[in-house]
Amino acid sequence: MMQTTIGRRGALLGAAAAVSTFAIGGRAFAQTAPVVFGALPPLTGAGGPYGPAMLRAMQGVVEAANSAGGIKGRQIRLAFEDDQTNPDAGVRGARKLIDVDRVQALMGTWASSVTTAVAPLCWENRVPLFTVSGADSITLLPHQGHIFRTQPNSRLQIETATKWLLGKGARRVFHMAAQSPFAQSSQDVMTEVMRAGGGAVSGYVVYERDKTAFRSEVDTIMRSRSDTVMLNGYLPDVTILLRELYRAGFDGRRFTFAYAAPASVFGTLPNEVTNGLTTFQPSPDLNSPAFTRLKAAFGSTEVDPYSAQVHDHATMAILAAAQGGDATGTVIRDNVRKICQGDGEKVDNVTDGLRLIAAGRAVNFEGASGPCEFDERGDIRGTKFRYEVAEGGAYRVLELV
Amino acid sequence: MDAYLIAMLVFAGFYALMALGLNVIWGLTGMVNLGLVGFFALGAYASALLTTKLFWPMPLGWAAGAVVAAAAGAIMALIVARLRGDYLAIVTLGFAEVIRLTASNEIWLTNGTDGISGIPGPWRGDVSPPEFNLIYLGIVWTAVAVVFVLLARLSHSPFGRVLRAIREDEDVAAVAGKPVLWFKVRAFTIGAAVLGGAGALYAHYNAYIAPDGFAPLLTIYIVLALTAGGVGAMRGAIIGALFVIALLESTRFLSAIIPGVSPVQKAALREGAIALSLILLLRFRPQGLIPEKTRTKATP
Repeated sequence: MMQTTIGRRGALLGAAAAVSTFAIGGRAFAQTAPVVFGALPPLTGAGGPYGPAMLRAMQGVVEAANSAGGIKGRQIRLAFEDDQTNPDAGVRGARKLIDVDRVQALMGTWASSVTTAVAPLCWENRVPLFTVSGADSITLLPHQGHIFRTQPNSRLQIETATKWLLGKGARRVFHMAAQSPFAQSSQDVMTEVMRAGGGAVSGYVVYERDKTAFRSEVDTIMRSRSDTVMLNGYLPDVTILLRELYRAGFDGRRFTFAYAAPASVFGTLPNEVTNGLTTFQPSPDLNSPAFTRLKAAFGSTEVDPYSAQVHDHATMAILAAAQGGDATGTVIRDNVRKICQGDGEKVDNVTDGLRLIAAGRAVNFEGASGPCEFDERGDIRGTKFRYEVAEGGAYRVLELV
Repeated sequence: MDAYLIAMLVFAGFYALMALGLNVIWGLTGMVNLGLVGFFALGAYASALLTTKLFWPMPLGWAAGAVVAAAAGAIMALIVARLRGDYLAIVTLGFAEVIRLTASNEIWLTNGTDGISGIPGPWRGDVSPPEFNLIYLGIVWTAVAVVFVLLARLSHSPFGRVLRAIREDEDVAAVAGKPVLWFKVRAFTIGAAVLGGAGALYAHYNAYIAPDGFAPLLTIYIVLALTAGGVGAMRGAIIGALFVIALLESTRFLSAIIPGVSPVQKAALREGAIALSLILLLRFRPQGLIPEKTRTKATP
């Protein structure tokens, strides 16, 4: 065997060096005069397909605000950490952002479990948390007004989608749900709405999302003689399900959340398989100036709903700080509703918002994700929903209601 | 910065406790246990449920967490009595997944994937968050110290020597008249109790637990902590846990100062750097930072 060259002392010295680099690194980064906001998107793990674009959207807003002079002359810095789509890693990342970077607002948490794990840290340290997580339980936490959620909760989403399906003539809907916090609550809402509308949920299967084949599940769908199947899952499993439904010759309507079949699905599945697939999502207001601008900034990449939402998170935090005249967590929390609802002048971007606030005028921010109005629990109100159908390798908008 | 360092030391304490627990099962007795996060989860859920639903006092909840995990450990040891090596690894990995999936599905008990929030912490809310962190730092590292002293004594006792004998060759231990299964069950129970206790402490620190938090990633971190520190040596388990946390957190700052890479590349680089340091450590120092001192390792 080769003689090892690292002795115990060497190894311990190495470990000590590793510890001290992170102490020194921290000091180097603590010397920041600007206002610091924190982003905690999922750059790796299950949320990995969305996090990078979300971060880019937030950085874009911060750059625009900085070139417009920042918050009362103070520049803004966006510190970010990867939450690894894991609550344990998310808490450590949030700790770093709150304790080392001293962020005044945290935004862009994606997975519901990460948001729920990070939320107590936020309200204990008086840092508002802007999130895109959908689990109903999040805004029911005792958050003292610190949570703002731009994603409609899952109940509202399923209720709206089911009503739309009923309106399109669906009578027997099969519910195919990945194991998730909202599988059962989705099922309850669907059953209730379908029954009230004279239809029925023709079957309900909860599957483990990491599986690579869904043969028996697809057989169950075929046996149920459903006219519609609701694929309540995520991108990897929905991709497989779509392929297997096609092979099995399913000729009913295939309906899913837009996040489970983003445009990248056309790269992995042939058009014959995806044609006719209907998706829905709480829609960014596609025709709004804010969304158009975000789309231009993104260039060729498609703007997903989460990017549109975090674009609004960053804008709201900056405008609220400017409105309150001080960039602390409590001031931001207390001023969010003042800049995004009410009779103020409508603005759709951070530059105009900062200018109007500096001129002492009231503003009402309408963002890329929608009108951005919150109820007393911190839940979004009045979101639009968009329905699209896949045709020849692209999505065509059916309706925006 | 101070608050952050304290919080990370608290996390290091949890990791150290878990590494100590694993060390009894794997380091001393040689039973591969890739299901340690399952015992950790059992302890966390037991304590969280007893304190939030039945309003047990916290210390009793922590004790209950350790007892529940210990009971599961004893049963587990009996089930896997005849398995060794890879087979044992697969079964224990499966056990942890069963616990996680049960927690996701038995919504009436565990609140499913929404998890349990609002788990009380000692004086949480009465003291400021930094003070709470300090209190918890004290609690966790006291627990580490107590467990360390007890396990170090155990490892140098005749009982510990039998466990090592079983690790090296269980047939020889059996021939020497040692009831191998009984020793294995006790070792597994003790290790699982420590893991469960660590889980209980973790739940009350974080105030929130969910099945997602008990993914195999955590098992891997702890196995790495123990490998880095030195399998078999109790001091190695603690040094290894500190090392892994230092590695996980220092890469955050190191990746931030590299210019010209996108955030996603930074996140990937960070994971790569963690993997690389551990590979290098295992390549050049396979016995860990603090190797176990035993006569069995003497060169012939």
